[in-house]
Amino acid sequence: MRKGVRKLWALAPTLTLPRWAGEGIGVAVLLAYALLYASPYGLRVLTVAGVYALAAIGFQIVFGLGGALSLAHGAFFGIGAYATGILGSQWGWGFAATFPVSLLVPLLLALLVGLPVLRLESHYFALATLGIAQVVHLLAVNSPGLTGGANGLPGVPGIVLFGWAVPRGLPLAAVVWGFVALGGLLAWRLARGRWGRALTLVRDDPLAAGTLGLDVGGLRLAAFALSAVYAGAAGALAVHTQRVVSPEVLEFPIMVSVLTIAVVGGRGRVAGAILGAVLLLHLPEWFRFLERSYLIVYGVALLATIVLAPHGLTGLLDRLFPARPALLPKPEAPPEMAIPNGPLLRVEGLTKGFGGVRAVDGVSLTLEAGAITGLIGPNGSGKTTLVNLISGLETPDGGRVLMGDVDLAGKRPDRIARAGIARTFQAVSLPEGASVLAAVAAARLERDGSIAQAEAHALWALERLDAADLAAKPCAGLPAALRRRVELARALARQPAVLLLDEPAAGLTDGEKAELAGHLRAIAATGTALLVVEHDMGFLLPLAGHVLCLDQGRPLYAGPPEGVRSDPAVVAAYLGEGA
Amino acid sequence: MRRFLSILSATVFTASLLSGAARAGDASVPVLVPLTGFLSLEGTSQRNGAVLALKDAPAGVTVRSEVIDTGTSPEAAVTALERAAGGTVTAVAASMLGTQMLAMLPLAQDYKIPLVTVSGTASITEQGNPWVFRFFPGDAVTKEAHARYVTEELGRKRPAVIYQTTAYGQSGKAHLEQAFKKLGVEPVFEEGVDPAAKDLLPVLTKALAAKPDVLVLHLHSGPTALFIRQAAANGVAVPIVAGSAMHQPSTAALLEPAELKGVCAETAASPISGGSPEVEAFTTAYRTAFNAEPDAFALGQYDGIRMVLAAVQDGAGNAEAVRKALSTGTHQGLAMTYKSDGKGNMAHSAVIVCYDGASRVPAIAKRYDNLTGVVTGMVK
Repeated sequence: MRKGVRKLWALAPTLTLPRWAGEGIGVAVLLAYALLYASPYGLRVLTVAGVYALAAIGFQIVFGLGGALSLAHGAFFGIGAYATGILGSQWGWGFAATFPVSLLVPLLLALLVGLPVLRLESHYFALATLGIAQVVHLLAVNSPGLTGGANGLPGVPGIVLFGWAVPRGLPLAAVVWGFVALGGLLAWRLARGRWGRALTLVRDDPLAAGTLGLDVGGLRLAAFALSAVYAGAAGALAVHTQRVVSPEVLEFPIMVSVLTIAVVGGRGRVAGAILGAVLLLHLPEWFRFLERSYLIVYGVALLATIVLAPHGLTGLLDRLFPARPALLPKPEAPPEMAIPNGPLLRVEGLTKGFGGVRAVDGVSLTLEAGAITGLIGPNGSGKTTLVNLISGLETPDGGRVLMGDVDLAGKRPDRIARAGIARTFQAVSLPEGASVLAAVAAARLERDGSIAQAEAHALWALERLDAADLAAKPCAGLPAALRRRVELARALARQPAVLLLDEPAAGLTDGEKAELAGHLRAIAATGTALLVVEHDMGFLLPLAGHVLCLDQGRPLYAGPPEGVRSDPAVVAAYLGEGA
Repeated sequence: MRRFLSILSATVFTASLLSGAARAGDASVPVLVPLTGFLSLEGTSQRNGAVLALKDAPAGVTVRSEVIDTGTSPEAAVTALERAAGGTVTAVAASMLGTQMLAMLPLAQDYKIPLVTVSGTASITEQGNPWVFRFFPGDAVTKEAHARYVTEELGRKRPAVIYQTTAYGQSGKAHLEQAFKKLGVEPVFEEGVDPAAKDLLPVLTKALAAKPDVLVLHLHSGPTALFIRQAAANGVAVPIVAGSAMHQPSTAALLEPAELKGVCAETAASPISGGSPEVEAFTTAYRTAFNAEPDAFALGQYDGIRMVLAAVQDGAGNAEAVRKALSTGTHQGLAMTYKSDGKGNMAHSAVIVCYDGASRVPAIAKRYDNLTGVVTGMVK
């Protein structure tokens, strides 16, 4: 028996299945269990698992895809539950009316609180959302006239669909799981589409996402609001299954359950939410005969799952039964973007201070179409800050950034990116979990109509840099030179009029630098204006037609590259006054 | 013994006592109570009371049982009841948590299963559900006793009411308000306290600022102990009459006897205070079985399950027959005489216990019977 298991295990990694196979098998097993085997008790547990699956699918959107640890998800669940509970038991409303309201109320609250709260970073966001949950809980407990107070409200009617009162057992389980199927399908399509890809990039690297034309705030708010709708739906169904609403639906254990389901099932995956919910709702029932000791067994089982499957159960299944790799699209050039001749970008008197330090102090420059401008200066001279100011990652204190007649200074990064400015970063920023093709295609999400189109255009950009053979590889583990090339391809996929490169040659060998120089010249030849920040004069000076040198935020030299080495001010800045 | 009982309650067991009685019957009584969460202490008392009653099943009655933890969520309670309903069920020892009971009631009605509980939450017997039986005086009973003791025995007219912001607290506060109003007394201070509050000195200070002549508490076990400790530490001379949580030995164990001096509390019963040979025998058996002190919840649940088993012994062969017996019969329990008021409220007596400052065992200071006017008998 053991040998057989070992043989199977050894075979497992070689087994490749169609992408839908796992989900299909799971659905078939669930259906067979519900229709042929489950007792009323089994159906009850399955129904509750469905409620949690729906809540967890919503949480996967905001937490799994969007990367925002919203601890208000339990509160949205409870608000949906109370909307149904109050309207159903006190006002006599039917399911057809209470259910939409249970979706709408959490949605409105999420939009209201999302705007200020989503500006916060990571743990501050989590704490703020926890605060929202606490306030809602206190309101429910201390408003007995409306909510029944701590006792809650009994007498919530069951679900009535088109005049049919859905009875407990299989029909109720079928209705709840019908909503899970609908919600799951919608979330799955969103996750696999442009919106889901964009959200994932926002999670992995919000700065890069903004510079690729993605509205980071808008995406986060949409994810937060959509997750609230799912939570509200789940809360409404929960109340219909237990026929009473009480403050327990707003308490932290609901939130913890949903979070655990998402993590154990597999972060960001609809299948993970369903698998996690089914497992976590059944696990305590299997050990219930142990009285209170079941919690120990439950805890150990959860811990073991997380240790053995750090990427969740779906991650483990993916590892054991990898899906067939998707076929690469045919490369396709995107529609040409007309780039005018002459000056494309004019920076006038740009200033930025951090406390008492003037990082950029009155810098002006002009980037011409088809020209390469070098930006040099000692460490701390303000080069990267200047690039950040132009690309919108920092807000200038003064000055203008003009593309034509439009002043972009202080605008959001995505708006600046949409105006035609692309950039790379000093420390290469690529989503580790994505393939090279997906990473580059992220640059096209805002422009193209589909993922397939975005990937075809991304492959075109990779081909231009002789990197098409990297398309199917994961970004994680790529050597430094290739990472830089992929990042450049991503910027190139934006078809920018102006391209800002922050130390593109750092860490490259001489051969790789020469190759990079050739690529940059080719890009410039298409009319794109390049601003290249670089320390390696041997690489930059032969490449650039014009050089700007900064020191302590101020322009020190602006002119042809030939004059840089002989300019005493530049030499002094780099080597000291005595040089 | 404790281990034996644990196994007995965790698995299906058969306790067939030798008997030549002709009215032998089967009884299946699942015990669905909160063993984890904030009510684990009280829930464990409830479990122990039920398990002890099942162990002491009357002659000729064969008992099957299973203990299932309901936690504190309504959802888990409904699931537990659905699980228990998978087999033939005579009656269920059901959670003392009001919100869980409210969630279980519709299902119990669908499955026609009597729920025997010690929940004090008023509304569970106000749903028009004929399948619920409460073997613990509801708030309407205990809070009347509470208010009457404060007003009639202590002669206080300026109570400060401090309650918990939970179902238990809000239900008790509402009934205290009514009871005081009936007695022509208006509280000079009322404030709800979150059960998670770690310092009750602010609320104590605010209450004293209203110049009350008595502090009336309706708090859970931990907050009750904390409040009394902080009152003693600050030399508060105003008398304290607490809710039923104070009578629990586990609450008294959190305090020094001196801190308890003069403190009184309402409750259904206080088995450790004695009162009759039967109660003392129960207390001894409980201590032996569980190595713990019994409280009113344990005794109430014990009495409730004993009434179910007595009905089975008398020929009630199914859940409907048991329901009828509980609805119409009278049972001489250890704590009091039980009889339904037509809504499932079986208990109509309450006692006031007071601590003398020398021990943690309170003495019964006052007994109130027939508070709903249904029961005429007295506990032996």
